[in-house]
Amino acid sequence: MSEAGSHLLVRAGDFVCALPLQSVRRVMRALTVHPLPGATAELKGLSEFAGEPLPILDLARLVGAPPGASPAFPVTIVAWAGPPEARETVGLAAEAALGVVSVPASSVVVGEGGFVVGEASVAGDVVRVLNLEALGRR
Amino acid sequence: MIANRVDAGAPAGVWSPRPERPEGEPPARIASAATGWLIVLLLALAGGGLLARAVSAGAPAWTAYVFALGSGLAVVAYGASVFRFYRRLEARMPAGEAESRALAERLVGAFGELGAGDLVRSVERTAGLPKRVAEVFQAAAGALSALAEQIQDSSIEVASAADEVNGIASELASGSSEQAASVVEITAAMEELARTASQIADSASLQASLADRAEAAGDEGSAAVDEAVGGVEEVQKRITGIASRADTLGTRSKEIYRVLDLITEIADETHILSLNAAIEGAAAGVEGRRFAVVAEEVRRLAHRSQESVDSVRGLLDEFASSIRATIVATEEGSKEATRVLERAVSASAAITSLRAAAGDTARVARQISLATQQQNAASDEVVLTLREVSQVVQRMTGGLKQLSGTADRLNRLGLTIQLLAQSFHLDSPRSLKHLAEGWAAQLGAVAAPGDKERLLDELIPQVPFVEMAYFVDVAGATAILCFQGRVSEAQRARAARARESDLRHRPWYRGVLRQGRTVLTPPYESIPTGEACLTAATPLFGPGGELLGVLGIDVNINGWTRI
Repeated sequence: MSEAGSHLLVRAGDFVCALPLQSVRRVMRALTVHPLPGATAELKGLSEFAGEPLPILDLARLVGAPPGASPAFPVTIVAWAGPPEARETVGLAAEAALGVVSVPASSVVVGEGGFVVGEASVAGDVVRVLNLEALGRR
Repeated sequence: MIANRVDAGAPAGVWSPRPERPEGEPPARIASAATGWLIVLLLALAGGGLLARAVSAGAPAWTAYVFALGSGLAVVAYGASVFRFYRRLEARMPAGEAESRALAERLVGAFGELGAGDLVRSVERTAGLPKRVAEVFQAAAGALSALAEQIQDSSIEVASAADEVNGIASELASGSSEQAASVVEITAAMEELARTASQIADSASLQASLADRAEAAGDEGSAAVDEAVGGVEEVQKRITGIASRADTLGTRSKEIYRVLDLITEIADETHILSLNAAIEGAAAGVEGRRFAVVAEEVRRLAHRSQESVDSVRGLLDEFASSIRATIVATEEGSKEATRVLERAVSASAAITSLRAAAGDTARVARQISLATQQQNAASDEVVLTLREVSQVVQRMTGGLKQLSGTADRLNRLGLTIQLLAQSFHLDSPRSLKHLAEGWAAQLGAVAAPGDKERLLDELIPQVPFVEMAYFVDVAGATAILCFQGRVSEAQRARAARARESDLRHRPWYRGVLRQGRTVLTPPYESIPTGEACLTAATPLFGPGGELLGVLGIDVNINGWTRI
């Protein structure tokens, strides 16, 4: 994680999450998702990106956010997940992609670690800082 | 018979005795003597003529001398026979004078009775007259009796007819009076009807005027309603136009919404594109910072575009809400205008009907006014006619009263004629004098007053027209009064008063004493009945010819036509 890396703010349910910008490959409108039978609740299904299958994960479920009033998942964040040596491309279904911000590491209140690194305050709002490299280890 | 005794030269119904040639020898002989003398004279003239002819023709003279001698002898012989006849006639003259005197006395007696109106005794007095004279007298008396009976019948018929006329006239007068009263009532009713008709005519005229005004007001109201209908229709058209334009605005608003959606979509795409640019700039490292700045600017622009779209969408929502409110308001206005139009049309129809009704009312009111005016005129004519009828009825009532008075006078005239006819003593049960004398003869056969009273009680019911019979003796001590039918208490009281008075001073008693025969009184007031009556009174003689008393028979004037 960078010292004062840029992050992409996305809305997942009632949470605003900050994704490290170097892990984000593309922001896209919601892709067509084909549900998989027997899949976990976080896995919404499979989609297609650049000619390859793309697993679509429910970001709100991943961060444990309460679902919104009417979750529509209008955007899909295509990002790298997992450690750099074995990273995979996944799709994160989110409510909205809000913008790119810079979140200093000093402002992050480190938590338990893992996928959700900690929380930071951005423009007065509480932002959950995520670590996509830890997503592959879950 | 009367017909046999009516002279052809006399007026019809008037009896006149026909002169009869007296029978006996002297007149026949006188006639024969005259005839003889006439024959002798003719023979002498004829002989003289023949003699003169013979002398002129040159006949022998002795023939004339013989003829003249014969004629002279015949004249002498005839003169001798006539002389003998007159000598014998002179010898019989004294006996003929006595007989003629006695005959004249009998005739005077008979005619005296006849002059007194006693046709019965006048016939009885013809006994001893020559048969032919007696027959002629009896025939004359019979004819007179029949004439008197006919007069009696005629008087009753006249009186009965007068009574009927009087009754009819009274009924007609009563009916005329009622009719006059009815005519007066009808006249009053017609006058009231005429006044009412006049009031109706005035009311109808006023009603026609009001109906005309109502019709004019209806015209004005109809025109006003038509204008209102036109105005409401124009308003409805305007509202319809507003609604149409509002619909157009709504349609255009939807198009704007679609444009806004498109802009929003473009802004979203731009936002995503700016994020991806920022991601690519970050991936490019230091070389990509400027690119990231541009991406940030693009993202902000997309954000402002989104904010502007949201602002426009909000304004458009308010605009659409206003349009919807306008559409609703115009729809409600259109509905209200429709309702107002319907009400206006209904009001127009009602005013039209009201106007037609007012027109009909005016026409009918004029007809009523005209009819009532005609009725008024007819009522006036009827009133005039009824007044004339009333006058005619009043004149007729007066005439009927005069007719009733005339009938009364005719009735009294009939009574007068009846009294004149009853003044004769006829051999008829309807002759009061004959009736009284017949009852007197029967009363003379009984002596006791009680027997006389019983006899009168038996006789009275046999003659219905006799109201009362009574006998008063010459001394005035006995007064028997018998009534026809039941005797009322009033009659009984009056009879008692009559018995207490001296009935010999009554006119019927004094008339009998004065004339010495049966009399008939003119009408007078009866003491026992208190009503007008006439009395046939006759003397009652004893066996020696002495006057025993007077019998009176009363006939009530009101019932004299039953005789």
